[in-house]
Amino acid sequence: MAVQAIDDGDVAPVRRGMGPTSQGIITAIILLICGALVIYPLFFLFAESLNIGDPQTFPPETIGFGNYADMLFDWRIIGNTLKVALFSTGIAVTIGFILAWILTRTEIPGRAILERLMEIPFYVTPLVGALSWSILAAPQSGFLNQAWAYLGGSGSIVDIYTPMGVAWVMALFEGSVAFVMISAAMKSMDPALEEGSRVLGASKLRTMLRVTLPLVAPGVLGAAIFVFAEMLGSFAAALVLGIPGHFYVITTAIWELTLSYPPDYGRASALGISLFVIMFITLAAYRWLVSKGAYSTISGKAFRPRRMEMGRWTWVLAAFCWLYVLVSVLLPLGALLLTSFQRFATVLMHQAQFTMQNYVTAFSLASIRDAIVNSLVLGVGTASIGVFVMVLLVWIIYRSRLPGAGVIEYVIMFPQAVPRMVFGLAILWAWLNMPVSLYGTLWLLGIGYFTVLLPLGVRTLAGVVLQVDKSLEECARVCGASWTHQLRTVTLPLLKPGILAAWLLLFIASVRELGVSIYLMGPNSKVIAPAIVSSWSSAGTELTAAMAVIQTLTIFICVMLMFWATARLTNQGKST
Amino acid sequence: MMKTGSLTKTIWAAFALSALFGSAAFSQEAVADVDAVCANPTQAKGFKTCADIAKAEAEGELVFYATDIESGTVKVLQDFEKLYPKIKTSYVRLQAGALYSRLLAERQGQSYLADVFQIGDVGLVMDFQKRGGYARYLSPEMAAYKAEYKSNPEGYWTWAVLMPAGLAYNPNVTSEAEAPKDWNDLLDPKWQNVVSMKSANSGMQHVTWYMIKENVAPDYWDKFAELKPRAFDSMVQQFDRLVNGEDKVAMTAQYAAYLEYKAKGAPIAFVAPSSGLPSGPEVVGVVKEAPHPNAARLFLDWYLSTGGQKSSVAHWYFHSPREDVEPPVGALPLSQMKLLFPADWEAYAASRQDFLRGMRAMSGLQ
Repeated sequence: MAVQAIDDGDVAPVRRGMGPTSQGIITAIILLICGALVIYPLFFLFAESLNIGDPQTFPPETIGFGNYADMLFDWRIIGNTLKVALFSTGIAVTIGFILAWILTRTEIPGRAILERLMEIPFYVTPLVGALSWSILAAPQSGFLNQAWAYLGGSGSIVDIYTPMGVAWVMALFEGSVAFVMISAAMKSMDPALEEGSRVLGASKLRTMLRVTLPLVAPGVLGAAIFVFAEMLGSFAAALVLGIPGHFYVITTAIWELTLSYPPDYGRASALGISLFVIMFITLAAYRWLVSKGAYSTISGKAFRPRRMEMGRWTWVLAAFCWLYVLVSVLLPLGALLLTSFQRFATVLMHQAQFTMQNYVTAFSLASIRDAIVNSLVLGVGTASIGVFVMVLLVWIIYRSRLPGAGVIEYVIMFPQAVPRMVFGLAILWAWLNMPVSLYGTLWLLGIGYFTVLLPLGVRTLAGVVLQVDKSLEECARVCGASWTHQLRTVTLPLLKPGILAAWLLLFIASVRELGVSIYLMGPNSKVIAPAIVSSWSSAGTELTAAMAVIQTLTIFICVMLMFWATARLTNQGKST
Repeated sequence: MMKTGSLTKTIWAAFALSALFGSAAFSQEAVADVDAVCANPTQAKGFKTCADIAKAEAEGELVFYATDIESGTVKVLQDFEKLYPKIKTSYVRLQAGALYSRLLAERQGQSYLADVFQIGDVGLVMDFQKRGGYARYLSPEMAAYKAEYKSNPEGYWTWAVLMPAGLAYNPNVTSEAEAPKDWNDLLDPKWQNVVSMKSANSGMQHVTWYMIKENVAPDYWDKFAELKPRAFDSMVQQFDRLVNGEDKVAMTAQYAAYLEYKAKGAPIAFVAPSSGLPSGPEVVGVVKEAPHPNAARLFLDWYLSTGGQKSSVAHWYFHSPREDVEPPVGALPLSQMKLLFPADWEAYAASRQDFLRGMRAMSGLQ
């Protein structure tokens, strides 16, 4: 599974006419629904940011720009947000670049399994990562500091409750996308240039720094901008690790301002809009960079990927990869597992008492069982309906001759530029004031997930759809097939493996979703990620750890099942 | 600043339309307020009720909005379900400020999900009563509660839990001799960066803030802020950090949390400050426009009865306001503690903005 970097510069679709009526109707309906899902909540968010009267009054009775002016007093929070986003992006991109280079350009033992292990941080909810690192690196009691003390060290060597700690966890668990994006750029790079450098006598390190890095620099820069935008809207690590250290970023400030009484919805909305503006500019820069044909290493010339033999450095590079697996997978999950078996959470082993009770409790509580089932139902539903609608959207945007397709693409990508929490709040207000009463149901969560996952799904599926030669579809149309018949018999079967990968991506993203769920979850529509937050804040770390282990295992099992199903489908395709 | 003009009128037409449809969409059998205890209460399973049990079971559901520890809430609701298995229970748990904001936002959008509402901040309770949020129902069980524990007029809300708060520490980390004995001892600079409190979202924190200001020193919190205390949403986070030695002292340490951790075998000691323990209630009432009004009344009757209160004491480790219910196992009776309740709840409620400002400054949000 991979998030594919899309070269928009390559997109030169043959725009068709609207064709048969069915195509026009379906296109209009889909655009109307998706546009409304994105725009309607943002309208509420903007309106609320102008509310300077009673925050409990909808619609606002007194409006003005006071909330925006008040942001001058929030300069520290905005500064914190930029600081932690920059740090985490720096760490994520550096680690992502080194890992991508090792795994795509060098020959190391266990490469195949390492590539698989690199994906695991993506399955782990950032919240789970933050919780586990709070167990590992708390200044007094963290495992790492305990180990340091055991070895005779004094004081603490790491403190996760700092801005750098927040940035570290964000980079590990929310920055895994950097590795995926940079790997994609490196995999498509012609190795002849590196080989030329080696033939001319440059060392491997010099070749990496003077040839590989400049060649993939635009791709790395694109990944950096994309990751930076993600980090700006990050929430979980800042919640668990930032607040205890008096460190607020915009998302945690919004959390505090909206979940207190009286709520400061106006100030929270203005902060959300400001983040939207920063993220929108950042993502527009990313799109501009990509559209400039930044991936100049992708040429029409055929090449065979070759990897460098690194001699004695092989083991050092392999060790770096395993170190990443250790800090992002093995240590966090190990710490969680240990805590989940404790009677009360402690890393001081002399006072620890072990029990299975947390798992008994987790499985016996109807609310937790319901949350797990609801998450799976929503994951399957969002992924299935989402993939279907998003394939059509991608086709409309890239293959139809619809006027203003570019604008539609921008609108669809809006949720990418709005932090999940902010969008969740906007959806809450929008749907609380809708004629159809969906608040408190799984339907609203499903709509929320679909809306915020539109950019992810559309980007992934665009990569898939654009791989299919247009001539195949044109053949079907020339032979007299209707648009729907062509989609059903030609386009969709060709896209099947890619669609399965996109389905899986949407499924995982739904099951680990937190920002939107926090605001939309009702008493009978609990889902697992906010249930873990709730448990963390009121039921104790040990039960929370058990829930986090259950969530991670659930995702992992589902991913394995999907890999198995995809492999079977691919094999069937080959055999026929 | 400008008042809403024609432009915004146009914009908000969408809201008005939505609200219109929303009202139309809302349909539910209205249940009239009850301003007197019914003449012949039904003797139910260990308690008396004026609720229509058949209708409650037909409704089949009860939604409880509460601020209490989730694991305890689940068990209390399970005890009720054991008596009435046809009524499925569910809950929403948030801290006081968050829960109240959520409830008001839902009601503003005419989404009525809550049946029974329990919250630990009397100021918010008074506000909700003023907004007409409570349904009036005089439970036969309310006779067992003191007049000052009930709304005026009776039937809107009742104190269901009493919560004292003091100081707590880990005896493996801090010796008894070194531990603070009273609130002023906590101002010693040696506690800088190692003391925790509850967040501004907590009703207990509001009571503690108010009572210490009133009873200990008006500038207490200015001095306390110099210790750079860490604020947490729940007592669980405070006590987890004590157990692990991350903090040395927890202020606003709820006695109930201490009892719960002690029962788990965790190394926690409690200090009842000599100048008194700020105390507040958890207040319960039936919500107006509750989607399951009969089930809500039945639950309230059970919850206020000795059976419901024993369940509360057993699972939340709270003290009951009923004098015929024993304190939690291993707990001192309230009569042996110096409890500090606000004498003027109106003044307490009016202090909310100052409290929020002070707390946000201490926790780094402002």
